[in-house]
Amino acid sequence: MSNGISHGQKAKPRDQQSAALRLKNNRLGMNIFQVSWIMVFFALIVVNWQLRFSYAQWPPVGVTPFEPLLPSLATLALLGSSFFAQRGLAAFRSAEIKDFALCWRLTMTLGIVFMALIAREFAMVSAAALATQYGVTMRLMTGFHIVHALVIVGIMLAVYRRAGAGAYRGGEAAGWAVEGAAKLWHFVTVAWMLFYLVLYWLR
Amino acid sequence: MATIAVPIGTQAEQREAEAVRRPALSEYLRWSVDHKIIGVQYGISSFLFFLVGGAMAMGIRLELLTPGLDLMVSGSAYNSLFTMHGTVMIFLFIIPMWAAFGNFVVPLQLGAKDMAFPWLNAFAFWLIPPAAIIILMGYFVTPAEAGWTAYPPLSTLFSGDGQTLWALGAHLLGISSIMGSINFIVTILNMRPEGMTLWRMPLLCWAVLATSIIAVMATPFLAGALTLLLLDRVAGTTFFDAAGGGDVLLWQNIFWFYSHPAVYIMVLPGMGVLSEVLSIHSRKPVFGYRMVGLSSMGIAFVGFTVWAHHMFTSLQPELRIPFMITTMIIAVPTGIKMFSWLGTIWGGKIRFTSAMLFALGFLSMFVIGGITGVMLAALPFDIHVHDTYFVVSHFHFVLFGGSVFAIYAALYHWFPKVTGRMMNERLGRIHFVFTYFGFLFTFFPMHIVGMLGMPRRVAVYDPAFTQWNQLIGIAAFVLGFSTFIVVYNVIHSYFRGPVAGANPWRALTLEWATTSPPPVTNFIDDPIPYEDPYGYGTEAATAYLDAVDETFRNGAPASSR
Amino acid sequence: MNNNRNRTPSVSPAAVVVAAIFLLVSVVGINWFTSFVPAVLPPQASAESKSVDELFYVLVIIGGIVFFLIQGMLLISVIFFRAKSGDPSDGPAYHGNALLEIVWTIIPAGVVVFLAVLSFNVWMQNTEPKAMVNLIDGDEVKINVSGARYAWTHSYQTGRIDPDGEQIVINSGDRLHTYIGQHIELELRTQDVIHSYWVPAMRVKQDLLPGNPATGGRPTEIRFTPVRVEGETYPAAYPIVCAELCGDGHGRMTGEVVVYEDENQFLQAFYEPAIDAILNPPADPVLRGEIVIQQYICNSCHTLDSLGWTSRTGPSLNGIADRAGERVPGQSAEEYIVQSVWNTQAFVVPGYTEQMPAFGPDQTDANAMNAEQLYAITAFLCTQGEQSDCDSENQTTAIPAAIKTAFGLEVDITFGQGDGASTDSSEAPDED
Repeated sequence: MSNGISHGQKAKPRDQQSAALRLKNNRLGMNIFQVSWIMVFFALIVVNWQLRFSYAQWPPVGVTPFEPLLPSLATLALLGSSFFAQRGLAAFRSAEIKDFALCWRLTMTLGIVFMALIAREFAMVSAAALATQYGVTMRLMTGFHIVHALVIVGIMLAVYRRAGAGAYRGGEAAGWAVEGAAKLWHFVTVAWMLFYLVLYWLR
Repeated sequence: MATIAVPIGTQAEQREAEAVRRPALSEYLRWSVDHKIIGVQYGISSFLFFLVGGAMAMGIRLELLTPGLDLMVSGSAYNSLFTMHGTVMIFLFIIPMWAAFGNFVVPLQLGAKDMAFPWLNAFAFWLIPPAAIIILMGYFVTPAEAGWTAYPPLSTLFSGDGQTLWALGAHLLGISSIMGSINFIVTILNMRPEGMTLWRMPLLCWAVLATSIIAVMATPFLAGALTLLLLDRVAGTTFFDAAGGGDVLLWQNIFWFYSHPAVYIMVLPGMGVLSEVLSIHSRKPVFGYRMVGLSSMGIAFVGFTVWAHHMFTSLQPELRIPFMITTMIIAVPTGIKMFSWLGTIWGGKIRFTSAMLFALGFLSMFVIGGITGVMLAALPFDIHVHDTYFVVSHFHFVLFGGSVFAIYAALYHWFPKVTGRMMNERLGRIHFVFTYFGFLFTFFPMHIVGMLGMPRRVAVYDPAFTQWNQLIGIAAFVLGFSTFIVVYNVIHSYFRGPVAGANPWRALTLEWATTSPPPVTNFIDDPIPYEDPYGYGTEAATAYLDAVDETFRNGAPASSR
Repeated sequence: MNNNRNRTPSVSPAAVVVAAIFLLVSVVGINWFTSFVPAVLPPQASAESKSVDELFYVLVIIGGIVFFLIQGMLLISVIFFRAKSGDPSDGPAYHGNALLEIVWTIIPAGVVVFLAVLSFNVWMQNTEPKAMVNLIDGDEVKINVSGARYAWTHSYQTGRIDPDGEQIVINSGDRLHTYIGQHIELELRTQDVIHSYWVPAMRVKQDLLPGNPATGGRPTEIRFTPVRVEGETYPAAYPIVCAELCGDGHGRMTGEVVVYEDENQFLQAFYEPAIDAILNPPADPVLRGEIVIQQYICNSCHTLDSLGWTSRTGPSLNGIADRAGERVPGQSAEEYIVQSVWNTQAFVVPGYTEQMPAFGPDQTDANAMNAEQLYAITAFLCTQGEQSDCDSENQTTAIPAAIKTAFGLEVDITFGQGDGASTDSSEAPDED
């Protein structure tokens, strides 16, 4: 554990908190944020679920169901990327910067593969499906999810570059950015697993 | 028995404290990460919105003095008036007003130097002014006129651009509320001083914790609902348009999943304030502390299972019964609180300060809101009074008789801590009398007009209800007038009020164990909380309070001596 | 916390006396409260209203006990437990009483269970589907209610047929006609936003929900049975109110339930004359128009003194015939009126918005209107003015010509010659 942070000339309010407390706060804050924000994804699942009752069957008559193959591959890619994010975090904590960089690159690559596949699904929704809520809620959910994935990949990229430049060294508290980015990415994965289940398997 | 701990360090540090001055007024207009500044920023801006929303209420009552249209040019103008009244009062007054007291008081009660995330705290506040501007900008296009509940398709296919602005503004306010709440939870769970277990935490902190849990879990649903509404309005989707496979009840489900718990977001902090004020001003421990704390959590939990009672006239009939039952269950934890508060003042030595008067006023008015709440839960009776003035009356008993009375109690109670000056008690008593009776005669008759057959949200009504509405109107103007008394009192007391000293109420919670106003870092040293935040009536408590008084004998702000 | 002394706060004998007095006051007070119950509720005009009011009575008694208990304890506290002036000491360090806390958790919980069971029973009893609903003259008649901004339209799908073999539909506008003992079951549909059909005297309320028109909308039902009200003279009228915000004219969206004493009175005063008017409409198109225009929701937005309409959402129809010829250059008065009814968006009177729904043969439900009805309405509106712009000498040719010009439809002007043998006469939409 690091026993302190370097104080600048001007004391910022958060510098009044010890490093340990800051880390504790960040972790709890992140957990609460995740529990909170996942509720938006639940809200969209409710949307999907309730609108099913507007139709006699789901998918509606004349609409071909989505093919789950590609999304399943995308899901595997995402799960893999989450795995590498966790390994990257572990590597960072044990100061193996090379391993960290490799894992982090893999995470981002797999994440981009995931996004590309899902973006393709988003684009390829048939006109017949789009004429019903079957297609529209799918676009709503995947679109909403992919926006989150994009932003968080951006955060990961920023963390990667700054870590490469030697930032975040010196203990868990200083390395919070890496941990936080990894946790956000896990959030993307969990949120997608919910959507994946609802969109492709629960009919 | 714990030893008597002097809460503050050495005499040398004390002199430093004497130099504490009130923040310059200009500091309140700037970005600041100090929770005390932010608290006052929340408080002042919310109170300004209270005046705006109140002026709108006066407009509503003026229109309703006669059964026809007279003040308003059209029904639409009236509709936008009460839409804005509801939106301003809920999203821009009550919810941020509790963020004001939460911000100022909670870190102090925990002996913390600031909130867990000071920057996030400031950011959450500064989302409010742009959101308010966006919502009120509706008046320059076509203002939202679908009520604060914004039911589609009225709010989608039949409303103007103001509705889009309304949804955007509400979105920002929701995000602000989530960020503020995350901050409160982390602060309360992580930043308590050594020795203050959860079960020794002031009840305001319990209430703010429960409120924040509700806010982080429920507000995202509002974000979801508003996103869909915006998409329907601007992107041509049909989530709420039956002709395109949508469902109007979808909005009601998602919206009320947020907006029912939001009622508890608005009233639970008030209940926390009540526990503080009743105990301190009757010099007696809170009766059944644990049950009071737990009942906040109970209300928060059950509050998530009752949303569809707002849909008793639209939901499929067979789904209505379970929501009737859950709604009635809420009466139990609420009842525990009411009785515990009565147990608190029973046998105490009550001081009739203005804060105490408003707290007692809360007790006597909120009970009516509770009783009518159970009546409304009873499905067959609710079918009759659903969407009538009975409901308007009910929720004003909860939100005015409850929340606003508690806000006034909190104002009179913590004003000395915030400004270092006492408020004028005589004016406070006058303010209470006008508010109490103005409120009672405004809202109690509404039960009756509602039962007799007057629906809510109407500009024109059956002339048979004219006299009732005139009585309500006159009482409402008295209530409106009473607000000016407190405005005058606040301004007058800020400049001319007697110096408060550190602990004018001789309270045991930690916010009183520092100067008034507290220094930038809140405490000179890490304060040591008394073992029981409400342990009045023991020699140890008296000794602790004497020690606080002794420490701060000369500790008032230098500017005021 | 437990090592503090658990000293019971002392209560003076005076407090006990006051408590006793207060108990008395609350018993008297609750009695007094309940005596007001009938005065704060509308008449009990349905079977459902009686059980709902009984439930309310129980709620008032229990609520009254809670109210007096809490206000009483509050009053006793502020009188007896106020600090003496100059007494700086604290109250007793009394932290609670587990038994008391259990009691005030269990008792409210029990009361809540009791109320839930009671409410459940009342609800099941009131919503139980009845056999033989809307019984008129031995037939079960379907009654539809349409809610449109800002008017109710009731239509009876009668069991009678006209000489052409078509079902006769009685459109009774914003009035529901019923009689004591008739089990009413209404099917509610909205044409635009959510409305809520509320009859305070019957204690019933149901929202009208927009549904997909392609699949027949999203009908909701409402049921009640009118009963005799003591001291009422029949036929009696009870208001219908819209209880869900629906826009500008929400407050004006009202109607009436007209309750007849028995089926005979219902048949004689309402049902038979209504059918007769459809089968044998007056020969004079103006008189016919006066009847027809009142079957539509025009009164919800327009003012027309001669019919007692007062709404101000749309432009006034007073003196419409004086202005009709000058509104749109090149249009005759007849052409202007005809167009304003069927093609409502073609010209919007300055100062008003495009709120008026279209009427015509293509419209459904309450807005369906055939050419003959348009002819009659136009003839009637042509009489609303001092010096009408209409060619009243030749109304039998001028109006059909205007309809032909605007919509390409032939009007059967022999319709309504009193012989009952002419064309389709009901409010049902045209076949095409």
